[in-house]
Amino acid sequence: MSKVGRIFFPANSRHGLWTIPLLVAICCCVGLAISTADFVSRQNVLNLFAQAAPLILVSIGQMIVILVKGLDLSVGSVVSLTTGILSLNAPFYVTVPAAMLTAAVVGLLNGVAVTRFRVHPIIATLSIMGITQGAAMFVRPSAGGTVASEIVALVSGELFGIYMPVIWTIAAILVGWRIVHGSRFGLHLFAIGGGETAATFGIAEQRNEVAAYVLSSCFAAAAGIFLAGRIASGDPNIGTQYAVDSITAVALGGTQLAGGIGSLHGTLIGCGLLALIANGMNLLNVSAFVQTIVKGAILLLVIALQPRKNIGL
Amino acid sequence: MTSRSSLLRAALRIPPSCVVFAVLLITLWVLRPNMMNPAILGTFARQVVPLGIVVLGQLLVISSRSIDLSAGGIILLVNYLISSGLLYSWPLLPIILLCLGVGLAVGLVNGLLVGKRRASAVIVTLAINIVLIGLVEYLANGKPPGDVPAEFRALYNLRFWTIPAPVMFWIALAGIMSAFLGASVFGRFVWSIGSNPTSAHFSGVPVERTVVAAHVIAGLMSAVAALVQTSSIAVGSVRFGPELVMNSIAATILGGVVFGRPAEVWGPFVGVLCFALLFVVMTTMGVQEPGKLIVQGLIILLAAIFYGLRSKSN
Repeated sequence: MSKVGRIFFPANSRHGLWTIPLLVAICCCVGLAISTADFVSRQNVLNLFAQAAPLILVSIGQMIVILVKGLDLSVGSVVSLTTGILSLNAPFYVTVPAAMLTAAVVGLLNGVAVTRFRVHPIIATLSIMGITQGAAMFVRPSAGGTVASEIVALVSGELFGIYMPVIWTIAAILVGWRIVHGSRFGLHLFAIGGGETAATFGIAEQRNEVAAYVLSSCFAAAAGIFLAGRIASGDPNIGTQYAVDSITAVALGGTQLAGGIGSLHGTLIGCGLLALIANGMNLLNVSAFVQTIVKGAILLLVIALQPRKNIGL
Repeated sequence: MTSRSSLLRAALRIPPSCVVFAVLLITLWVLRPNMMNPAILGTFARQVVPLGIVVLGQLLVISSRSIDLSAGGIILLVNYLISSGLLYSWPLLPIILLCLGVGLAVGLVNGLLVGKRRASAVIVTLAINIVLIGLVEYLANGKPPGDVPAEFRALYNLRFWTIPAPVMFWIALAGIMSAFLGASVFGRFVWSIGSNPTSAHFSGVPVERTVVAAHVIAGLMSAVAALVQTSSIAVGSVRFGPELVMNSIAATILGGVVFGRPAEVWGPFVGVLCFALLFVVMTTMGVQEPGKLIVQGLIILLAAIFYGLRSKSN
């Protein structure tokens, strides 16, 4: 295969097959730009960023966990719990650290259950999702409350003439890139996910795995802060779809659920593709129900194109 | 020393669901002795029959190191087929056969993608679920669903010696599944894949085909569960499913069937009964929705930790 071919269709890349979703995404963009006038408007592009930012945050955390052969189903409930804590009647310098700390504790519980007690990630994060969701509904039984005005200002409005959701997205990408592709910790994640020999090369598997779960929860909490600012209140059900959506986005981007293979750019493409599908079909006036079908079909298609060795999970 | 450790090992072999069930039963007996009456408990057991039937398929899939998250979508689709009025002029039997066919077909697609294409089971069944939910919502197009044929309701309300007919049906189905797994070659194949897929492969077990078959049976079970669920609510619904799927996984694990552990029917069976009893106990104690979620999560986590530690010491 030619050199260019190898860049776009790598046979054994650590970063997975992210080029196919990228091509699909580019086709979506071109098609939408031609068929609808509103797609390239400034307002629509900004809307796209606002829709994608929380998903990008949650998905980066989800990808970190998936890289070490894990799965985090509790991210959605952490998002909900965060908005619940932020909507409590307290100043922002109390609620924000409290929310982050709570998220870190949830992540720690996930990590300890998975590594120390060897509970399967799906089971561990499923049960902790139930506990966190219960806590969220306890803190805020129904949507409401008010979020401190500083948090609202943090996500709406502009800084140096740049729309805040754009800044959040860029910050998330930079932090995610630093962690996954720019640090020793990130390399260790790939090593742990790649095989059973990581421990023999002196990589502390358990510690790094726990750190991955804590990071995932913290990213989810950041998404919760963003969403709480957007709606200026708390909602115990706002995060429900994020567990499935983040797994979808990560899988769309070529990250393999068996661990060890994946990339931040793939995940970003996955998030972008999901946001594009929703946004584009809204512009084309496709019913929300057909959007769901298309979302599932694209996911099936992309997943069926990725070859794997193992059968099962 | 040895006798003590062997006693301990025998105690640990009991699935956690039985322990939880006993504890819940005693709690209920102490708190509300008048609730301990077959008619009342039977009614509560009847509510979890759909869950129990989904679990019969889920335990096969989980035991062969896969997972099925598409039960919610199948239930929704079957419910729509029955209640939408599309098949109103059809007699009962063809409707039931069509619904079972839907379950088989979805299970087959799941199985082929997971077993033959070797795609991730979590993603495949999740995606199928998304597609099915979208399909039903598209077909229903926001219209409220219609009524369920009266025969379904009549069957659901039947009782034999105070035991509701759905509960009898569930017990019979569990018995058949248990006998099937114990006596058939397929049962031994699932057992061996559950123990170790690599050695099963090298021992000549058709791993791919067994995984496909497990998914097909799980799809069929979801369709059966859907029939019971549909006759229980008497009207169509476009909103249910996610918690049923999550509970089916939880009950299976509570029953001692974990990824890569031999399939066993009665542990998960009691696991489902635990959910029914847990609901009764917490309702009588006045625990609200958040408390229920927290207690449920804690029980699953503790049971899983108990099992995780056990697999390490073996």
